Amino acid sequence: MSLQMSEAEGAVKVEEWQQTFYAPDSGIQSGATTIRDEDSVSARAGESATDMEAQYSLTRAQRVRAAMFPETLVEGETALTAHSNPDQPTNVQRLAEPSQLLKTAIVHLINYQDDAELATRAVPELTKLLADEDQVVVNKAALIVNQLTRKEASRRVLMQSPQMVSAVVRAMQNTGDLETARCAASVLHSLSHQREGLLAIFKSGGIPALVRMLSSPMESVLFYAITTLHNLLLHQEGAKMAVRLADGLQRMVPLLKKTNPKFLAITTDCLQLLSYGNQESKLIILANGGPESLVFIMRNHNYEKLLWTTSRVLKVLSVCPSNKPAIVDAGGMQALGQHLTGSSQRLTQNCLWTLRNLSDAATKQEGLDGLLQILVSQLGSDDVNMLTCATGILSNLTCNNARNKALVTQSGGVEALIHAVLRAGEKEDVAEPAVCALRHLTSRHPDAELAQNAVRLHYGIPAITKLLGQPHYWPVVKATVGLIRNLALCPANQAPLRESGTIPRLVNLLLKAHQETQRHGSGAQQTYQDGVRMEEIVEGCTGALHILARDPINRGEIASMQTIPLFVQLLYSYVENIKRVSAGVLCELALDKQCAEMIDAEGASAPLMELLHSPNEGIATYAAAVLFRISEDKSSDYRKRVSVELTHSLFKHDPAAWEMAHAAMPLDPGYIPDDLDAVYPPYGYSDLPMDGLPLDAELHEQYMPEMTYDPRQVYPNPL
Amino acid sequence: MNREEAPGKSPEEMYIQQKVRVLLMLKKMGSNLTPNEEAFLRNYAGVVHSQMSQLPQHPIDQGAEDVVMAFSRSETEDRRQ
Repeated sequence: MSLQMSEAEGAVKVEEWQQTFYAPDSGIQSGATTIRDEDSVSARAGESATDMEAQYSLTRAQRVRAAMFPETLVEGETALTAHSNPDQPTNVQRLAEPSQLLKTAIVHLINYQDDAELATRAVPELTKLLADEDQVVVNKAALIVNQLTRKEASRRVLMQSPQMVSAVVRAMQNTGDLETARCAASVLHSLSHQREGLLAIFKSGGIPALVRMLSSPMESVLFYAITTLHNLLLHQEGAKMAVRLADGLQRMVPLLKKTNPKFLAITTDCLQLLSYGNQESKLIILANGGPESLVFIMRNHNYEKLLWTTSRVLKVLSVCPSNKPAIVDAGGMQALGQHLTGSSQRLTQNCLWTLRNLSDAATKQEGLDGLLQILVSQLGSDDVNMLTCATGILSNLTCNNARNKALVTQSGGVEALIHAVLRAGEKEDVAEPAVCALRHLTSRHPDAELAQNAVRLHYGIPAITKLLGQPHYWPVVKATVGLIRNLALCPANQAPLRESGTIPRLVNLLLKAHQETQRHGSGAQQTYQDGVRMEEIVEGCTGALHILARDPINRGEIASMQTIPLFVQLLYSYVENIKRVSAGVLCELALDKQCAEMIDAEGASAPLMELLHSPNEGIATYAAAVLFRISEDKSSDYRKRVSVELTHSLFKHDPAAWEMAHAAMPLDPGYIPDDLDAVYPPYGYSDLPMDGLPLDAELHEQYMPEMTYDPRQVYPNPL
Repeated sequence: MNREEAPGKSPEEMYIQQKVRVLLMLKKMGSNLTPNEEAFLRNYAGVVHSQMSQLPQHPIDQGAEDVVMAFSRSETEDRRQ
């Protein structure tokens, strides 16, 4: 009943509106087909020509049309000109082609002006009707407004009316009728294609209303709302903040569960626009399950534009420390890896950048075999962006992951990385990760030796050595010295490394870095260059020389470069690792008698005695070994002191045993024999009687047979 | 270094034991030994045998550990296509 009454009232209102409007019946109430204004003339055949002409004269556009383009008048209309002669062509008809084009343009303008006038007259009334209490009225008004937006001229009039736009917005958000909401949303969508319209929507509070429409159960409303918001985000200043304030992200993220690819493409693009450079937005996306939904899209869709927009959101999120592990845990690495071999260059590149960002959080991920193999193949690319990403991802995924190291090694990764290094030239963004990846492959996994040999077999040693040259980019230098250290673990690499000039380069770098550390003081002060501490270079170079010194020829070359004083000085370093590698290289050099004497002459005994007490097993072992080696032809006093220190350090945590040992040891000079050439018969520990061991000098001579040194003995050829 | 010793060992025995351990550790770390050192180990084969099981199982001195590179310090410029 109320509906019938409201419909009747509505019909009255529309009729009233029509009477103020010179345009013909739109058919809303009469059901008549919508007809153009020219046709309305023929519908009123009963009126006199004079009346018709009079009506024409009331419309400027019609007068212009009649005067200029009488041929555009429909049947029944008359031309206004008093000089017209149907037998003769009009002036316009006589014009050449360009003028015909001009005529066409003017006809359009006339129609445009008609539409504009129509809309101008309708807007105030329609605005009122949109705010009517009667929802039927509102619905019909919304339909009409929606129709008006179909033509450019009338659309422009609408968007120039703030009251109209506000009325549409309010109608959309207040109505309970889905069709009304749809019409209103459609109106806003139409308006959003022009800047003027965007501004009008923005100023009318359209953004919060549109955000609320994102919860609509009607798909078309969702589409209009998200598309309108997308246009606002793209082109309207202030829109991003307004959408965020209206909790737009919280409403958009759940929409990622929809299935329409084009809808999803717009939604993901909105998320990208909102979250780029905005940490809070990224956290909101995370809190609403964004990573899982985005990864799902990458896994399950194949519409290129959607994959591209989604990859862009993931790229934005991948720099967020909180989002990164969530994306990885959701299978993001595997999902992105699915799209590295397609035909879309932009998609491939975005996936690569995202993978690179995520890679440091994915070192423990499983199921990356396919990705690793694709990355190895991409190392053959000439595209510097692709190389940068592939080397970076491989560097991180091989970090502390024996499985990944083995897979990359077995997939030809070593050769591919060497080629990448060669092609990188001075591009540090490629060279550094490529060398780091090689460094990872050459240590700490069962196939490390395979990788060490592969570098040599693929002619990688000269290229790698060259990276130590100037100009020094310290991150690359640091990675390279670490790689050289690993390569030297392989005996077959020692000679090629020497022949490529590695040793003098390492020594020079060591000297340079050490000088820098000395120049800037000691202790807590650390010197950085290109983000690398010079102490790291000292450690790396000394570590590489330590392993190179396992080869006797290399050992001689290292010692001949006057390095022993520096190595002894490094024993005093406050950096634990520097102490370890310097003790290590001295341990190797001390194999040679002359070097052992030089080490002793530099006063190494004192710091080495201290290092015996190091909690680091490696340091203590190297220190003990060096002391053994430099004390072989020392006086008995010296060897006794060494023995006492060594024993002291051994008994450090067992004071009772120390007391027993200390009391048992005679302290007279005869304790250790001076006869250095005496050779003592070997005996096994198990043959020693457990009681009644005489603690006299004779026994001590036997007790320390290793303290004798026969210079006539020749060291066996190592390795 | 192993500081836990069975009660009753003489200082000489302990010294031999620790010397053997030092040399075995050097070998474990890949270092070379002098001929005298090799001979020492042969001389005290029994101590070598007992010390072998007491050496640390974890690798010693494997060089610097792998370190990840942090690429996601800042967002890369995004060109809308």
